[in-house]
Amino acid sequence: MAKHVITMLPGEGTGPEICEAVRAVIDHSGVDITWEYEDIGLDCLKEHGTLLPEKTIKSIAKNKIAIKGPTTTPIGTGHKSANVTLRKMFDLYANVRPAKLIPVLKRPWDKIDILSFRENTEDSYAAIEHMVSNEVAQCLKVITWPGSVRIAEFAFKWAKANGRKKIQCVHKANIMKMTDGLFLEAFREVAKKYPEIESGDIIVDNCSMQLVRNPGQFDCLVLPNLYGDILSDLCAGLVGGLGFAPGANIGDNCAIFEAVHGSAPKYAGMKKVNPSAVLLSGVMMLKWLGEHKAAERIEKGVDKVLAEGKHLTYDAGGSASTDEYAQAIIRAMDTL
Amino acid sequence: MSTMTATSGRAKRPQQPITLVGVDVYVITEDGIPKFDEYGPFKIEFISNRGTKVWPGYVSPDLMLVNWYRCRFTATRPVTDKDVDVFVGELGKKHVWSAVQKLWNYGDEAGYSKAY
Repeated sequence: MAKHVITMLPGEGTGPEICEAVRAVIDHSGVDITWEYEDIGLDCLKEHGTLLPEKTIKSIAKNKIAIKGPTTTPIGTGHKSANVTLRKMFDLYANVRPAKLIPVLKRPWDKIDILSFRENTEDSYAAIEHMVSNEVAQCLKVITWPGSVRIAEFAFKWAKANGRKKIQCVHKANIMKMTDGLFLEAFREVAKKYPEIESGDIIVDNCSMQLVRNPGQFDCLVLPNLYGDILSDLCAGLVGGLGFAPGANIGDNCAIFEAVHGSAPKYAGMKKVNPSAVLLSGVMMLKWLGEHKAAERIEKGVDKVLAEGKHLTYDAGGSASTDEYAQAIIRAMDTL
Repeated sequence: MSTMTATSGRAKRPQQPITLVGVDVYVITEDGIPKFDEYGPFKIEFISNRGTKVWPGYVSPDLMLVNWYRCRFTATRPVTDKDVDVFVGELGKKHVWSAVQKLWNYGDEAGYSKAY
């Protein structure tokens, strides 16, 4: 029996070709994995009548770990996002998004190394919306004390375990005094238990401006769901775009690792999309499983291929296919 | 000199026929997922906690619940505001609630979201 059984969710659009490339690299790292392939996303609608079939849910519930390719959420129709459903169903309350400079991508900054911890289950994502008159729509922003405490606890523990020095709570408590006020109060309460880590807070609009002007000043950010959704994409943009932006959705007993970019259906089947975001999500997954050596080997392989610059995908200025890029990483891993 | 009222110049959205089809009741309890009796023409459809459906269907044992539940009741026949008043009065005898939101359809469109 394999050491790890992982649910693989290729998704739709370019997802399947990306996930095959990622699987090839991860398998080459030597980690003993059995992959359970399950369906998710728009392609499931015709066959199963849902974006998230019951069989997929059962596989994740059993394995408690999954890696997911991109999926698309229809805008303005009755279908709920499969991503948000998974996060809520398995209470994956911590969305962890690293944003680190990639040398080959020329950026105007010397240093960016930001870790975002986005609360993943509450805020205006509680799906409580009403048309309270024909002219007025309302959405409830739900912030809870236990939900705020646990994301702060998660962030401080992660920061401590990974040698991070500073955490800031991002909020708009000057205006939303009850909701963001509660989030900030919980953060401050938790921060008292971690005197070795510098803590502070910053208003979300100022944080946005400071991120663009001087991103090197930031270390770790803790954010409510909506601000986290937006600012983590901003951070990804600072370092080179969503093609290199990994992510993890983590709960107390389950974790799903996924890229945050869309499924790029217009490129489906062309094998030209950069698989780095899903691959680096896979690296996060291996670390989560305790497979640090394999994770580092893949990271170094990616770094080497990017530094050499011979096998880059189109978004990084090259013309390599998804598979050529993955095979270059595999060859680079063999030289380490 | 003409005067403009606060609403006279506003953009107006086309009005559609409005139908009362149910209510969301926000119940506060420390005793776990609430259970409900039949209340006249209103039948419980789902219960959610922080936006996640916790009844009926699969609920992760890891799911964190707070003491505030959104309870969706749908009407089993055409109903009026008076039916809602009676319903809320009866429900309030057994449950503590913080708010009630009527659910309307606007034309054929539901004016309310589902839970995840």
